[in-house]
Amino acid sequence: MTHSAVIEKGTLPTLCRMCSNRCSIVLHVEKGELVDVRPMEGNPVNKGKMCPRGKAALDMFYHPKRLLKPLKRQPDGSFAPIDRERALDEIAAKTLQIKNRFGARSMGVWKGEAVGFLQQEEYVRRFAHAFGTPNYFSNDSACYNGRFLGHHLVVGFWNPFPYYAEADLILLFGTNPPVCHTPFMGEFTDARARGAKLVMIDPRLNPIACYADVFAQPIPGTDGALAWGLIRILINAGAYDHELVETYSTGFEAIARYAQKFTPDLVERETGVYADVVERIGNLVIDTRPKISLYMGAGLEHHDNGVNNARALAILACLTGALDIPCGLIWPEEMPRNRLTLYDEKPLDHEMPIGKDRFPILYELRRECHTMTAMDAMLGHGKYPLKGLILTGANPAVTNPNTTKVESALKRLDLLVVNDLFMTKTAQLAHYILPAATFLERSEVHIDPKYQRVYLTRKVAQIPGIEDEYTLWRDLAFRLGFGERYFPWEDETRVNAHILEPSGISLEELQNHPEGIQYRPLTFKKHLSRPLPTPSGKIEFVSAYLQEKGHAGIPEYVRPYHLRHPSKNYPLLLTTGARKTLLYHSRHQNLKHFRRVHPLAEVEIHPEDASDLGIENGDQVRIVSKIGALLVPAKIVQAGELRKGVVEMYHGWEEWRINFTTMDMVNDPISGFPLLKAVPVRIEKAGS
Amino acid sequence: MKIVTVDLDRCIACLNCEQACRFHRSERHAGETANIFVSVDMQQRRIFAGTCLQCANALCLAVCPVDALSRDPLTSAVLVDRSVCIACGMCTVACPFGYMDLDTVSRRATKCDLCGGDPRCVQVCMAGALHFDSLQSIAERRKNHPEVHLGLRAIPDDGDALP
Repeated sequence: MTHSAVIEKGTLPTLCRMCSNRCSIVLHVEKGELVDVRPMEGNPVNKGKMCPRGKAALDMFYHPKRLLKPLKRQPDGSFAPIDRERALDEIAAKTLQIKNRFGARSMGVWKGEAVGFLQQEEYVRRFAHAFGTPNYFSNDSACYNGRFLGHHLVVGFWNPFPYYAEADLILLFGTNPPVCHTPFMGEFTDARARGAKLVMIDPRLNPIACYADVFAQPIPGTDGALAWGLIRILINAGAYDHELVETYSTGFEAIARYAQKFTPDLVERETGVYADVVERIGNLVIDTRPKISLYMGAGLEHHDNGVNNARALAILACLTGALDIPCGLIWPEEMPRNRLTLYDEKPLDHEMPIGKDRFPILYELRRECHTMTAMDAMLGHGKYPLKGLILTGANPAVTNPNTTKVESALKRLDLLVVNDLFMTKTAQLAHYILPAATFLERSEVHIDPKYQRVYLTRKVAQIPGIEDEYTLWRDLAFRLGFGERYFPWEDETRVNAHILEPSGISLEELQNHPEGIQYRPLTFKKHLSRPLPTPSGKIEFVSAYLQEKGHAGIPEYVRPYHLRHPSKNYPLLLTTGARKTLLYHSRHQNLKHFRRVHPLAEVEIHPEDASDLGIENGDQVRIVSKIGALLVPAKIVQAGELRKGVVEMYHGWEEWRINFTTMDMVNDPISGFPLLKAVPVRIEKAGS
Repeated sequence: MKIVTVDLDRCIACLNCEQACRFHRSERHAGETANIFVSVDMQQRRIFAGTCLQCANALCLAVCPVDALSRDPLTSAVLVDRSVCIACGMCTVACPFGYMDLDTVSRRATKCDLCGGDPRCVQVCMAGALHFDSLQSIAERRKNHPEVHLGLRAIPDDGDALP
């Protein structure tokens, strides 16, 4: 057996990373083999429970198709095993060739969701700057950053996760928490048991909407109009937090004026949500404020008007008074720690980070280069060429929009290195593939800003020849000549100690508390005693920073692409990315049990749309957009499950890549996010 | 004895329990059918979930013509001996709640066996809807929280399981 636990028998506590929630789990070991995963008590995140994704961690660790050896592409296109040291030598030599010929910035690095965030992300960011390229890319170009920016531009922070259980009203926009973030389920049901109301706004009905007091299915991309309609109701009723507005905000008059045109009738015409429903939601907000959890999902940000829609909702949350209260917009306090990034020590803004010219705010607030612009740079249409890319735990050939373009761009690279667990679609295009370690095979510091807790996970298992992320970047750094200076720590444990040093919490303490330690007690309403982290120190209903960049100061509602460019050829709207309970983006679809639950991709379609098109359940249909097409079976849902005219498909399938149809060039002007949630398409019955 | 009960007001149909049960059974018992079920009517926006109550006076046990069913001396769960079961289906007819099933793969009777006293479904119920409790503590909970449904009904009362 090549796979082994670090002990012969007993239990090993750690955190689960089968999704991004990081529940406390315990691995059970017998005869050096991991045999079971059980939930662990003591961590408020999962409260002694876990989900089937976590239960399948061992299926992933022991998966028969895991990559166990480095592979090198041969001239005939096949892959052959290569010694790890030799592979790294060759990768380093080719990286230096690119640097010498085109400059360091023609190399890029790309970190995917699968490896995680925090220090895993900072290794990659550090490596890039140490090498001399500003081009750090990640999945965040199409996830999370839109909402992050939307909140930052209003209140200067974002903690996405409120304490739902404390709310009297939970207001959800474009999200399905029980499936996206399973640990929150208990909070939802606690809130309900206390009598909290639930309002769900989503074109698709998720089971949790069975409990909704109001469930409304808007036209995708029009959430901003609804947000403004609710803002108008609050302002006109005088039912907003006057103290917050008068003392702690700027620009109230501007939003009060702008909101006036969003009468319930106009909102109905724009969003398809009935005027009386808009008023009912408004009244619920007025009755329950400030104890409101307003949470928005990725459903809001994958539009060409996403950031402003998110900003309008953040403003609505502020007007209700839910600023830095437990159920509201919590302002998290960071743990003092050493960061691994080099943005102060070695800034590279002058090196033209890819996408900074088009989406400067994305770069300035997130230090994130824009992956869709990167494809242009690979294809030779950029300001300078992108010639080499090292990816870890990322699968853009599945998850980035416009798959045809992504594949041709990746194929144009002189050097593509993929570090991953499995032979993904992206790995298949690589020159070198390195076998990656799972979360069970590394030790790292985790921080949860909601609970202000810090955790240390330990390496619980190993496979000879497979190295953790830190070792990968360190080994490459030494070959490239900056190892000693920038990657001096011998191993992860020393990095962990370095990160923790300013916190006053030691490695030993954390080892003794696998359930985590709260690094700072939670305090609320901090804006009463110190300025908010916005440029003005106040809630910014109007953003001078955005005005400086040539955008409107208030989050004006801009009609979505499909309403600005209606097309008879593409009469339906495709939304992609509604989560599945077991899959996580493009991860886990090769786990045998999971595959039995989700054997095939399906495009969900409303029964009336299906009958208009002569489609029956299970028929092969072609989804056709302006840029591509995909053949997939149809699933006719119940009439209430989808808004008529909307079709939905999961975004992570390796075999059915819906991103052949999604658009990379219709972007939000602030975040650069692609249009993934309202793509104009038509559905054709295959063979017709 | 302890049984698995469902707090219907807290079930949000994530299906974690069904999946964990099904995966566990297919690993250990060559089965495919989950022994806890969640049914969702998306049109009516209704959720119902339930599993075997391990009745003290179990009708399934009483009607089995070949004695394939027995009590687990440890947990008091009613167990199926698949090597004895002749798949006559009598037990599925006898169960007043519909919690006795025929496995779609093994074609033998299948039911909740409480996983030997450590039910997987309860481990994965992150909504806090499933409980593994003694009958006595269930009675206590009912007395103290009359607003909470425990899923002890075969069919949901019209309307009151939902707001």
